[in-house]
Amino acid sequence: MKALSAASRPALRPGCRLSPPSNPESLLLIPEGALRLHGPSRKILELCDGQRSIEEIIIELGQTFPSADSERIGAEVTGFLQRLQEKGAIELL
Amino acid sequence: MIPPPKALIAEITHRCPLHCVYCSNPLEMGRVELYTETWQRVIAEAAALGCWHLHLTGGEPLARKDTEQLVAAARDAGLYVNLITSGLGLTAERLESLVKAGLDHVQLSFQDSREESGNLFAGTRAHAIKLEVAERIRKHRLAFTVNMVVHRGNLDHLKELIALAETLGADKLEVAHVQYYGWAFENRERLLPTRAQLDESIATVAAARDRLKGTMRIDFVVPDYYAKYPKACMNGWGQGLMLIDPAGRVMPCHAAGVIPGLNFPSVEELSLKSIWESSEVFSRFRGDEWMQEPCRSCERKDIDFGGCRCQAMLLTGDAEATDPTCSKSPMRHLVDKIIGDIGQAAMPVPTTDWVYRINPTN
Repeated sequence: MKALSAASRPALRPGCRLSPPSNPESLLLIPEGALRLHGPSRKILELCDGQRSIEEIIIELGQTFPSADSERIGAEVTGFLQRLQEKGAIELL
Repeated sequence: MIPPPKALIAEITHRCPLHCVYCSNPLEMGRVELYTETWQRVIAEAAALGCWHLHLTGGEPLARKDTEQLVAAARDAGLYVNLITSGLGLTAERLESLVKAGLDHVQLSFQDSREESGNLFAGTRAHAIKLEVAERIRKHRLAFTVNMVVHRGNLDHLKELIALAETLGADKLEVAHVQYYGWAFENRERLLPTRAQLDESIATVAAARDRLKGTMRIDFVVPDYYAKYPKACMNGWGQGLMLIDPAGRVMPCHAAGVIPGLNFPSVEELSLKSIWESSEVFSRFRGDEWMQEPCRSCERKDIDFGGCRCQAMLLTGDAEATDPTCSKSPMRHLVDKIIGDIGQAAMPVPTTDWVYRINPTN
């Protein structure tokens, strides 16, 4: 498995997508099921477009949540994306 | 308050160009099928009820001409759409229109890694077409799963089967040992693996999972006849899944028709919500009120829910009995006898006298 780094550009794998905004629940839909998205997790995934690096995603989130500690944002984003990579929901470009 | 189902399995037709010797469809199938408009309404009802996924299956779901319309209806309703197909009928044009309609995931079945035996188990020449179809699928941005049902006749090719799925570029491989329902129950003596084959398959899958971590996931279903405890069938009756047959009968699983006395409500008469929440069929084996001993006082009753009701029916004649694959079942000797009778020596796979699945007749 490709190791996650600040320069990796994450993207949702084919067949993995966010539920439409009209859905009552915010979900990441994957072939095996779905993950309920809480807090900033939907925002993180919206930034996973295969263009932005993890470093850039962390900076953007910092701008959206200026009161949050940037180191904590970094750790949370990395941990979250790592779990999704293990589930096969994201790939690193 | 009954939690909603997470997935709807839509058996939209029982017509199929394949005749697989382990097909899970019922032995008696009808030709009556719901209209497109009815399926579209039912799909919207499933989404409103809380379903996340729609699994389009059959028979061969591409045997209907309106599969694209059903995919579109599901996407409109916010559902994730999976197509479970033999691949026959999945032309480049058809695939393109399905993708356009919003298809998310394709599961393509293979019967073996080798053409000759693959065609033998499918009862038709399908293998070569599947190889072409897999290539076609990979050209689109779809999740792609290769499904392989394994049994005595193809288990010795398991490493080859895994290599085939890798070559085809699958995101996921589903290796499922045959479950003994439907046509598989008819062919059980020929399909049951030996203990040695089973053990080897477990080791092979474990090694492949390790090697393929991060590239191809492997789902693995083991045969419960050899297990110590039964499977948590459907994660409990009426807990997370509902299935609708081609005629619109709503069932808790694909095999429930073997249980006598169940009257499956029709989507033409009742809403999915009322069927899920208050029909007799869906309430029949929910919770543990119905359980007999040893299930009722068993510490595992919330883990495996007494196993499978259909299997209890098929093997003991009593749908309320403990699933006899459980080592605690007073009827476990029935399963041990079946395993004992097939012998544990490697046996050549018979090439004749299979019971092949036939197409709907009534």
